[in-house]
Amino acid sequence: MLDHKKKFELLSYVLLFAAILAMPLFMDDFWLNRIAKYLVYGMLGVAISLSWGYAGILNLGQGLFFGAGAYMLAMSLKLASPTSLNQGADKPVPDFMLWNAEPGAVTDLCCINSGSFLWIPFQSQWFGVAMGLVVPVLLALGLGYAMFAQRISGVFVSIITLATVLLVRLLVIDAQPITNGFNGLTDLGWFTVGGFEFDPYLVQTYYLVAVSLIIVLLLTHWLVNTRAGLILQALRDDANRTSFLGFNIALYQTFFFAVSAGIAGFAGMLYVIAAEFASPTFMDLTFSISMVVWAAVGGRNSLIGACIGAVLINVIAASVSETETFVEAWKAILGFLFVGVVLFMPRGLAGFTGDLVDRLARNGKAKQDLAPGDNAEKA
Amino acid sequence: MTVALLIDGVGVDFGGFKAVDGFSMSIDEGELMVLLGANGAGKTTLMDLISGKTKATEGHIYIDETEITNWAPHRIVQQGLGRKFQIPSVFRELSLRQNMEVAATVHPAVLRNLGSRLPADRVRRIDEVLELVGLDTRQNELAGNLSHGETQWLELGMLIVQNPKIILLDEPTAGMTQAETLKTSRIINDLKGRHTLLVVEHDMSFVREIAHHITVMHLGKFLASGTIAEIETNEDVRRAYLGSGGIK
Repeated sequence: MLDHKKKFELLSYVLLFAAILAMPLFMDDFWLNRIAKYLVYGMLGVAISLSWGYAGILNLGQGLFFGAGAYMLAMSLKLASPTSLNQGADKPVPDFMLWNAEPGAVTDLCCINSGSFLWIPFQSQWFGVAMGLVVPVLLALGLGYAMFAQRISGVFVSIITLATVLLVRLLVIDAQPITNGFNGLTDLGWFTVGGFEFDPYLVQTYYLVAVSLIIVLLLTHWLVNTRAGLILQALRDDANRTSFLGFNIALYQTFFFAVSAGIAGFAGMLYVIAAEFASPTFMDLTFSISMVVWAAVGGRNSLIGACIGAVLINVIAASVSETETFVEAWKAILGFLFVGVVLFMPRGLAGFTGDLVDRLARNGKAKQDLAPGDNAEKA
Repeated sequence: MTVALLIDGVGVDFGGFKAVDGFSMSIDEGELMVLLGANGAGKTTLMDLISGKTKATEGHIYIDETEITNWAPHRIVQQGLGRKFQIPSVFRELSLRQNMEVAATVHPAVLRNLGSRLPADRVRRIDEVLELVGLDTRQNELAGNLSHGETQWLELGMLIVQNPKIILLDEPTAGMTQAETLKTSRIINDLKGRHTLLVVEHDMSFVREIAHHITVMHLGKFLASGTIAEIETNEDVRRAYLGSGGIK
């Protein structure tokens, strides 16, 4: 039984990777850029599946970590944009800071406003990249340990994460002098590695996202198959029993919560590279809820299922919502789709196809078992 | 003989109601002690206090020489305690073997478990114990598919591979048929000597199979202690049990 399941899993990974890597053969630049963004959403699906499906932590504020990653890299790329460099290459200042500067203020990051010094280290792009991982992970470690050490679980975790993302969203909007508030960070420079500029509409940029997704999928797949991953699933099953086997469950939950946050932060950075902006909408409630819907439709207990769910829904959304008949109806369709999946396929597409493979394998086996009998009759 | 588990004047106050009240006892290393008492005598609460599930409001508990009073459960386990719950609790969505693998983990820390294999001696031990509890042929099935009795044995098996110094068993034969009870008493007799055991049990025929010593609790307090014969003839115990028809 286990055998054909493993084979099917392997096959689906190979097919997905092949499809992702072959995409540039069939798509123009415009669609390729779109697909890159959807692959980023696929990565968010993986993050949700890891925390919700494997750790049993329904995080309704995953946008917090996505947003944190996005803003960190966007700050670096903002400083690298031509408009910011107008002041001279050695002292870039973001345009929105100049517009809002008090008369006579020094046009330098050190002191153009009271918070602008925070931007100074972001002149290094790699500092931005590092922070894009470090900040979400640290946030998750703090928030996670605060919750899990108190044995907070289930719906209360969802409420706390949801409240946190909304709170941070408000703070970001409110800190207009250093975040550009509602408008977010736009007019960004390109992500640059060794002199190569990742123009979002280049096929190389697509591959940067695609390969990143493949690596994330492989790493998370490895992680849930380690002994720690097994213990995590035990914990989701029966936290009490796990703790009475000597495991500090708060540390396990915090660890996987932080890994999930790190993946979301990474996704946020890739999104900034592909979409060329960061905005408080990343921390909107609807976005965080959407991620959960993608994972639920794809199958939260399957990393690859949640990933495919996210990509698929967004591809469908993009094509359908641009058809005139469906522009208005699309949101309702998505809602019905979610309700339908929850009612009829509680384990999502992945669970559904898994069952299908099971049934086919069983039928195949039944036929094999029958075959010798047929021969005997003939003899 | 050295004392493995020492309970010294332990009690818990649930807002005025003392479920366990100044209770003391000690168990020697390798001994099997049965804890007897009517419903509501505080037996399960005492186990909760020992294993850290409930915080004591008075008294002290020691494993060997180390005081473990009110530690977090996982730390008490790391100190050498294992517990089987009254309602069997296993990981229902994992296979039997995976259940055992979780229990057989050597180091509990996250980062120590980023490999996928157990040491060879642990793997061998899992095989042995699965055979001991008679579940070796079903190790790839999901634990959720087991019958009630089999679930109890799986949980016992998990305790055995976990290899704690002290094992607490809360009604290990609850809901079992006679044949299943017999098999369970064989498993438990096999543990005697290698582990220190504290067993809560009502079924006297089962108690006769396994016990050296019995301690009786009544209304949260220590009532009597002794061999089976002594307890069966003890006047205090008879009086305490009159309402529930005496010991059968």
